[in-house]
Amino acid sequence: MKRLAIFDQLLRPAIYISTTLLGILALIYPFLFPAITQSTSPGKARSAEMPIMLTALVGLALLVLLYEVQGDKLNTRMIALLGILIAINSTLRFIEVGIPGPGGFSPIFFLIILTGYLFGGSFGFLMGSLTLFVSALMTGGIGPWLPSQMFAAGWVGMSAALLPPLINWLGRFHKYSNEKWERRIELGILMVFGFLWGLLYGVIMNLWSWPYFSGPADQFWTAGIGTVEIIQRYLSYYLLTSLVWDIARGIGTVLILLAFGIPVLRALRRFHSRFSFQYSSTQDNILTQETLSQENSSIPTRGQI
Amino acid sequence: MIHTWAWVIWLIATLILFSSTRNPLYLILLLLSLGIINNALKRYQLEESNDPERTNTLPISPLRIGLMLIALSALFNAAISHYGETVLFSLPEWIPLLGGNITVEALFFGVINGIVLFGIFWAFLIFNQALPSHKLMRLIPRAFFPLAVVTSIAITFIPATLHQYQKIREAQAIRGHKVRGLRDWLPLVMPLMVGGLERAMSLAEAMTARGFASNQTSPKRSWERSLLLIGILSLLVGWLLRLFENWNTLGSILLAFGVIFIIGPFWILSRRIPHSTYSREQFRWHDGLIIAAAFLVIVLLLLPTNLFSRSSLEFEVYPQLTLPPFDPLIGIILLFLLAPVYAMSKPSKNSLSPATQRK
Repeated sequence: MKRLAIFDQLLRPAIYISTTLLGILALIYPFLFPAITQSTSPGKARSAEMPIMLTALVGLALLVLLYEVQGDKLNTRMIALLGILIAINSTLRFIEVGIPGPGGFSPIFFLIILTGYLFGGSFGFLMGSLTLFVSALMTGGIGPWLPSQMFAAGWVGMSAALLPPLINWLGRFHKYSNEKWERRIELGILMVFGFLWGLLYGVIMNLWSWPYFSGPADQFWTAGIGTVEIIQRYLSYYLLTSLVWDIARGIGTVLILLAFGIPVLRALRRFHSRFSFQYSSTQDNILTQETLSQENSSIPTRGQI
Repeated sequence: MIHTWAWVIWLIATLILFSSTRNPLYLILLLLSLGIINNALKRYQLEESNDPERTNTLPISPLRIGLMLIALSALFNAAISHYGETVLFSLPEWIPLLGGNITVEALFFGVINGIVLFGIFWAFLIFNQALPSHKLMRLIPRAFFPLAVVTSIAITFIPATLHQYQKIREAQAIRGHKVRGLRDWLPLVMPLMVGGLERAMSLAEAMTARGFASNQTSPKRSWERSLLLIGILSLLVGWLLRLFENWNTLGSILLAFGVIFIIGPFWILSRRIPHSTYSREQFRWHDGLIIAAAFLVIVLLLLPTNLFSRSSLEFEVYPQLTLPPFDPLIGIILLFLLAPVYAMSKPSKNSLSPATQRK
């Protein structure tokens, strides 16, 4: 029984790591492809299968990751909370469609980052990926780009869960600072994080669209092309088509965090504690009560908070 | 009304075809087919709803998007790729990455890429227009029912959130609030956020009171998750092996195993989730026709056969541009994708019928 529990605990990180690895490798496929074909049979390429393969691999990895994540902490309250937050975020995306901001500016990353930061990586991942899914359903944005978009937005939320340990660690160097300064440091780190993801999201999404635009056949047609040149081509593609766009997204996220970050964090924290209670059945309560009575503790007999 | 799965299979067939040929003549034929289906769908929806605004959902026409995509792709490829023998002009070599010959072949290759991208985009656009969001939501496997509930809540609450936003804006306007800068959005965003969170609390209590418990009805079993992990690892290894010519067959086998190991557990898990259906889509004979036509196109054009030559599907622009070949038989086979037009020309009935009427 204990072995099964250990195995079960090991499964989770194994699934997280393998799906993320598959997603990353599928996205950097164009960089790996020429290097390998050059070393085996120069000039031959299965260029046509690349976009389909990429979409299928990312889609399957996303399905497995979503399945794993959905059962982690998704109780009834979290389902309701997630649904409503996604509705709010999708509404922000509607407003963005109606009143387009400059470049790649999008207000949706703000809430994805904050929820991942406060509610944890699983919640952040679901918030990111499902926001993109729901808004795609509502705006007719379903396409082969959607799995990559969902994966990338999910990563934004999931990686935001890495920030609390970082902020705690930094807090050790500011022992004598007051709460106001702590909040500012927290917000500053979130802003840097938001800006970096503004750029990174564009880089990831370009990896999806790049094989379509630049066409792999011309890259693999001659044996002389190697990984270095592919990276150079990607950089030129990125600089020409996306850098300014992505900077606008990054700056937009920073400004939204600056304007709304602290009050929204405060509200989310308040509701986080209201959403984080556990019901337990009467039988459980009796058992718990007996156990705790033995420890000379007193507990309420109804639902626990 | 065409069945959701008929649309899904039609979409898959269209995507496979767009990804399988670089012959511009076949690609243009496919685009024309999409144009005919798009018009038939518009006409059909107009007749169904009697509302001229029902079909005007796109802020920009598909053709304009297509022209933009093709132009962008052509310019980009011509600037970056310097292969080809027909030189239009040359840019100085000192310009990093852009310096070199600008060739007709590179330009033309970019146009073909743009057509492929536009075709894929347009096929999805038709798919999105044909199916309302509630039908798309039904495609979510039952194994993902907590996520389906989340999606359902979000879709249900989007109009309510928009309505709430309007009310907050009006209430703030009465108080003399004006939006001049980013900070002025705070009195609009915060009530929207807090109101939404309060609503989530009420919704959670209502769901619990009605006996909804997401994590109690689907206990996660280790063996199913292990199969999923094996599936992912199999995909990973198989795909990496396929990159090497010598390991192509083994790679393909592992990829197939990976897909089976992922889809299989989801199928089993989905069957275990109890569900009820208020109304079910009816599958009619014209849906079968669409599915059969899609399968026929894929089988005839992609699987090995001696009936005709498929060499014209493989068209190479480089090193020198030549006239693309055209096989009329392949052209006729591609037109099978027009099957939805026939289905939409039939007099329509409401395809959703209450379950109680089913036999």
